[in-house]
Amino acid sequence: MHFLLINHIQNARQSLHSSRVRSLLTMLGISIGVCSVTIILALSGGINKLIETQVESLGGNIVVIRPGVDNNITDLNNIQPQQKYTTSTLTENDIKYAQNTNHVQATAPIMILSGSIKADSTAPNNSLILATTPSLLEISNLKIKDGQFLSDNINKKTAVIGGQLSINIFGTESSIGKIITIRGQQFTVIGILKRTNNPVNYNSIDFDNAVIINFSDGKGLNSGVAQIQQINIKADNVSNLNDINDKLNKAISASHKGEKDFSVLIGDQILKPTSTLFRSITGVIVAVAAISLIVGGIGIMNIMLVTVAERTREIGIRKALGATNSDISWQFLIESLAISISGGIIGYISGYIIAFFISNFLIFNPVFNWQIAVIAFVISVITGTLFGIYPAIRAAHKDPIVSLHRYN
Amino acid sequence: MTDITSTPVIKLQNLQKKFGIGDAEAYALNGVTLDINKGEFVSIMGPSGCGKTTLLNIIGLLDRSIDGEYELNGQPVATMSRRKQAKIRSQQIGFIFQNFNLIPRLNIIENVALPLIYKGITRTKRLIMASATLRNFHLNEREYYMPHQLSGGQAQRVAIARALVNEPTIILADEPTGNLDSRSSHIIMEELSDLHKRGNTIIMVTHNPRLTTYASRIITMLDGQIDTDTKNEVIHKLEEEIKPVLSIKKRKKTIRRPRKRKK
Ligand SMILES: Nc1ncnc2c1ncn2[C@@H]1O[C@H](COP(=O)(O)OP(=O)(O)OP(=O)(O)O)[C@@H](O)[C@H]1O
Ligand SMILES: [Mg+2]
Repeated sequence: MHFLLINHIQNARQSLHSSRVRSLLTMLGISIGVCSVTIILALSGGINKLIETQVESLGGNIVVIRPGVDNNITDLNNIQPQQKYTTSTLTENDIKYAQNTNHVQATAPIMILSGSIKADSTAPNNSLILATTPSLLEISNLKIKDGQFLSDNINKKTAVIGGQLSINIFGTESSIGKIITIRGQQFTVIGILKRTNNPVNYNSIDFDNAVIINFSDGKGLNSGVAQIQQINIKADNVSNLNDINDKLNKAISASHKGEKDFSVLIGDQILKPTSTLFRSITGVIVAVAAISLIVGGIGIMNIMLVTVAERTREIGIRKALGATNSDISWQFLIESLAISISGGIIGYISGYIIAFFISNFLIFNPVFNWQIAVIAFVISVITGTLFGIYPAIRAAHKDPIVSLHRYN
Repeated sequence: MTDITSTPVIKLQNLQKKFGIGDAEAYALNGVTLDINKGEFVSIMGPSGCGKTTLLNIIGLLDRSIDGEYELNGQPVATMSRRKQAKIRSQQIGFIFQNFNLIPRLNIIENVALPLIYKGITRTKRLIMASATLRNFHLNEREYYMPHQLSGGQAQRVAIARALVNEPTIILADEPTGNLDSRSSHIIMEELSDLHKRGNTIIMVTHNPRLTTYASRIITMLDGQIDTDTKNEVIHKLEEEIKPVLSIKKRKKTIRRPRKRKK
């Protein structure tokens, strides 16, 4: 059997080679299917890896309060790094409730402001102004490269800026002490953030391109109104998350007069925006993959039935020369597997090419791992077998007398 | 067992083969009883459509749907599994078809090496053996030609080389010289004769009465039945006695008829 296998593979190679165009066209369906699957897995693997590292770095003890009810439609908008809720339902009181809840270690509001950022040159559009409290440093695990983070002890108007933004407006990453103009007001740079290269995070903030100012200054820039997009809370222990969740829900509900216009998110739920978006994209691609695999499989079956018909006499000859029915079955099954596996390999490679191309526009890279290769291979093998088995059995059951007689 | 000529390799008892069903039913073989011993060179003659190819196919285990008894090497064929039959075809039987039956998409050497695949011989060894066999037929220069690039005579020689490459003990040849000139025919007949001398059993269908001189036994068929058999001494003697009458009759049947039909 092992020996015949090699022989069947040689035969299949020869056969595919002799009808290249036909084989390539037949492979197309499988290629597209496997290509889609590879893209999904490579990119979702990339995003998962990104999120995983974040969750890990947070230690998992984070609670987030967001305005509005968390549903999938609004989540779709969360892909934008600078999400802006038009009017937030969260109030400064909610921050206080949070601070006063048991087991809460630190709280930081997130207020994103629109407006110009100017220094030596004007900041590009993708920059954003973030008003928060000093606790954000601890909660969001920000790293300072130079200088210091916001502090309650310095009441002068101060700002901490991201490394990329510093380069964009000052032309250098060492801009401590320099003056930056935000919405016409001047702030002194007291710290530079270490680069994160990581705009997809639960804050949906690209810290590399952000300027961070004190919450009170932020209110000042916004005509004294606190516009809170999110409240980040750090618990003292992961085991207390559910407890905090319950208490916050009750307290804020009460203060919002029973209106459920906010959501408290813990653990995995925090990462949901990104994964929900991804799930809907994945759904579409999975459908494309499934359809093209089925169409590709039917293509293989079709071409194999044609091949079997064309080789009716060959089958008769082979049987006369000593081939068993299973020899004949294997010959054709391996030929259809050769088509589907070749198609799979083409699909896998082009899938990565496309994934890398797409990732130019995204903030993460596709992942490479053996699992994806194995999945692509298994899909190809299953399709080839599923749609190749019927032609193969048909070939084996051809009556040699009739096969040989046909052209007499 | 020591006397090889008396061991029946092939034993047919009232063999019947019908094609079609219902009204279209027709017997291609209608009661063939025949013993062929090891080492015989049997020549089968008969008009076109009398069932010669059908008989060879049955002997070569290609046709399972038969009525009657067929014992090969003393074992009833009906009791053998398909796999067993394939193994016998692979190891003991060599087929030379009426119309070459080379596989068009494989080159000459691969065609000749084909039977060795199912014997489990590795590729390199296969090609060496096929090459050696082709040399016997003066075709070693054509090894990498495709079948359609050969003349009819060359193609037939390739087909014969393929039948002989796995050194079968039973050779079934359906008009092996049908398309060849007398010189090529002679080469092939010498080869078959040589195989015969080495103790192999050969069953050859032919329309050419001159080639029967190589055979040790001549069978003529008519309408799915055995008409004459030189082994049957009684008939043989009878034939000798009433030679004039019979020979004219036979000639009519065996030679004139097929010509008529083929036109
Ligand atoms: N597959 C088949 N289906 C139906 N009838 C068949 C089939 N094969 C052969 N026959 C019939 O069986 C009979 C015997 O055919 P066979 O091929 O054995 O003749 P033959 O003696 O070899 O003739 P020739 O000398 O022309 O080769 C013929 O009448 C033919 O029509
Ligand atoms: Mg015939």
